[in-house]
Amino acid sequence: MVQDTRLIELKGISKSFDDTQVLHSIDLYIRKCEFITLLGPSGCGKTTLLRIIGGFETPDEGQVLFEGADMANVPPYRRRINTVFQKYALFSHLNVFDNIAFGLNLKTPEALGVKTRRQKREEIARRVGRMLKLVKMEGYEKRSIDQLSGGQQQRIAIARALVNEPEVLLLDEPLGALDLKLRKEMQVELKAMQQQLGITFIYVTHDQEEALTMSDTVVVLNGGRIQQIGEPKRIYDEPKNAFVADFIGESNILSGIMREDCLVEMLGVEFQCVDEGFAKDEPVDVVVRPEDVMIVGEDVGMLTGTVESVIFKGVHYEMMVNTGAMRWKVHSTTMQPAGSRVGMSIVPFNIHIMRKEA
Amino acid sequence: MVRKSRGAVKAFKWTYLALVLAFLYVPIAVMIALSFNASVSRAEWTGFTFDWYAKLFESDAILAALEVTIEVALAATAVSTVLGTLGAIGMHAMKKGWASLLLNLSYLPMTTPDIVTGVSLMLMFIFMKIPLGKGTMLMAHIAFDTPYVLFAVMPRLKQMNPNLYEAALDLGCHPLKALYKVILPEILPGVVTGALLAFTMSLDDFVISYFTSSTDQNLSMVVYSAARRGVEPTMYALSTLMFLVILALLLIVNRRSSLEKM
Repeated sequence: MVQDTRLIELKGISKSFDDTQVLHSIDLYIRKCEFITLLGPSGCGKTTLLRIIGGFETPDEGQVLFEGADMANVPPYRRRINTVFQKYALFSHLNVFDNIAFGLNLKTPEALGVKTRRQKREEIARRVGRMLKLVKMEGYEKRSIDQLSGGQQQRIAIARALVNEPEVLLLDEPLGALDLKLRKEMQVELKAMQQQLGITFIYVTHDQEEALTMSDTVVVLNGGRIQQIGEPKRIYDEPKNAFVADFIGESNILSGIMREDCLVEMLGVEFQCVDEGFAKDEPVDVVVRPEDVMIVGEDVGMLTGTVESVIFKGVHYEMMVNTGAMRWKVHSTTMQPAGSRVGMSIVPFNIHIMRKEA
Repeated sequence: MVRKSRGAVKAFKWTYLALVLAFLYVPIAVMIALSFNASVSRAEWTGFTFDWYAKLFESDAILAALEVTIEVALAATAVSTVLGTLGAIGMHAMKKGWASLLLNLSYLPMTTPDIVTGVSLMLMFIFMKIPLGKGTMLMAHIAFDTPYVLFAVMPRLKQMNPNLYEAALDLGCHPLKALYKVILPEILPGVVTGALLAFTMSLDDFVISYFTSSTDQNLSMVVYSAARRGVEPTMYALSTLMFLVILALLLIVNRRSSLEKM
């Protein structure tokens, strides 16, 4: 699906509001038909970056290129980009049909491939009908916006943007206000729409699971800087630093020392790992996912500890195991009662070594 | 003992309320009653009549004043509604510090006594050698009406989703088109309330009009000059009509604001 052509390129984008710098020299490219997610905690600069792409903010430094052309002097209403805003921003003085038709009504008949005003009206009705079908809201044409639920408003906002057939759709935390079940459904539907229409989606969220579920590429941002860019699986399996490891999924993060290639010492114990290329005795951060810690007998474990607490999480149990030097978060489908002594072991492949951040 | 004092408190409460209401409304009620009194004398009731109302419409002076009042009120409302609405939109888009400074500056004229506004405007017109008449009265009315529109529109803008304007741009509107296709419909209830308020303020103004116009008189000025000559019952009728029109307008404004809060 994703093509190799670079549709949008950001070069050295910096932005400050008053005295706080929210973006530090961001370099990023977005390919045609890519579903790319800007992921990070609130205040990381992800929404500002999206607004710069949409043309609602001007960067202090740097360039936004769209198919190689500088967008500095192109206002939002001339960009082939449409946006789904965080709180939908639907027009409450218009009904559902007129909200979706808003962008089309502004176009000339010729732009819609027809000649007369009457044909334009018919063409608009046809396209709006197709959009309502796409977002599963047929029959709602005459409803007023205030009569719709949050989820329905969300769908109308998506239809209003997509009906203009943009090259790029920007989505600013569009599912934030929906309940969990609806959010999961919409994630699947959005991804399906994106693949069906072949439009580039740039998606902003702070929900790491959402990012991993939908994206071709995830861009992890923190403090106005890109922490890591990559496919969801790579980001999850090979976080580049402690921030990414901590933000994406749950993890045990601890300090260690690289004794030699494929051998790391942590908590005074040496572990086999698969990472190479570090200096001898270089201090590193070590990440172990909770599901990668295996509970074994106390006598055969690489580490031993006491189970402090057990929480049932549905598919698995979450246990906190205290080894004296550290508390480990462990996910397991079998439960060990609180207070029991257990051994823990980790296979080399599941120990992930990261360079210490300067 | 306890029950007795509680009864006394209750009696006091109701008497007090009745006295306050009486002070406020008995004079108006008396005036309305006298406007229907067939006798010219205030001392006796000789029968019910509409004559004084009929006479109003025979007096050229009153008809001329009615025309001035309505003309000025309509024109002042139209201009101040446009100015106040645009001003509110501009201030809303400004940085906070500047916006609040300007808002406070706009609020000041609403609190300064009418007589100060009137005298200062009169001085300004004389200084600029503009002859005092309908034109200067209109300018004065625009000046005191505009803040009312501004403060009626401002809350609507504050409530508005800030992304609405951007959504309009996003869908292909030029900034000006976004203003009248999206922003204006969204704040329209505030604009209408503001216009009604401005119209009411303009209709019942006396002090500022008195100082800023000499040749043309509005209804309040006619009532005032008639009262100095000795009050005729036609003035009771005129005042009654003005009272009712303004009461009706204010009720509409109130109803609109309470509906909006829901």
